Amino acid sequence: MSLLYLLARWLDRITPAPIAYAHCDIPCGIYDPQHAQLAAHTVVRMVDLINQLEKPGASATPEQRQEYTNKLARYIATKEQHSEIAKSEIRILWGDYFKPEHLKTFPELHDLVWKALKSGSKARQEISLQAAEDLLKATNDIASIYWKTKGFETITAKAPYPTERLTVYPKFK
Amino acid sequence: MFPLRRFRVEDDSMRPELEPGDYVLVNRWAYKFRPPAKGDLVVVRDPETPDRFLVKRVSDIPDAGQIRVAGDNANRSRDSRTFGPIDLREIVGKVWIRLR
Repeated sequence: MSLLYLLARWLDRITPAPIAYAHCDIPCGIYDPQHAQLAAHTVVRMVDLINQLEKPGASATPEQRQEYTNKLARYIATKEQHSEIAKSEIRILWGDYFKPEHLKTFPELHDLVWKALKSGSKARQEISLQAAEDLLKATNDIASIYWKTKGFETITAKAPYPTERLTVYPKFK
Repeated sequence: MFPLRRFRVEDDSMRPELEPGDYVLVNRWAYKFRPPAKGDLVVVRDPETPDRFLVKRVSDIPDAGQIRVAGDNANRSRDSRTFGPIDLREIVGKVWIRLR
């Protein structure tokens, strides 16, 4: 390792060197934050459905209890799965798409990714609307940065799904 | 414009000449007075993804305004075989030294 190499590496702390790709692996370059946003919507929806589910009272028949348990189990399974999808999609954007130069322009990215993953875990562990909303918000914030790095403005609009939560969409030219 | 610019190399289409993690210092004035030559190591703007740079070797000079580039590691490279020739103005510069 040469002294100049160490100097170049040290300079990266002040201003990261742009990357010159000697490209090899499938340069797919196909990333989209919508996967994470969609999964977060599903998590919000599952928490809503769980909260709307009528709990069987003391006089419920075994059939009613069974139906309740079946629905609850299905909602929880979907909530588990989609929290994990959201986390995995965020990790892909973080690990494969975002580069040090993006982080320089958007220093909040690190914290956002961290928040998204943490709230994703919490949304899995608990029946927490707050955690699901936090996850959705973090995926929206990350989406907004993603589209900016692609040179697109974004709009925030009510999603056309039953969740109807505000969602960040790109304004394609 | 300062003539030197530093880049960090990623991926391995230029192995063994350039390894991922190497730095290259690029001379942006190299082609002010003379045209690129076959065999030169150059950093160019990726024709398929603007805002992204590629480091490749000049493989051919089809005419005065264009070059073709190729990776040394041909079976692991996306280059002029896929995206065709590159305009001279897309060249950032010539690799002057490699830091490892």
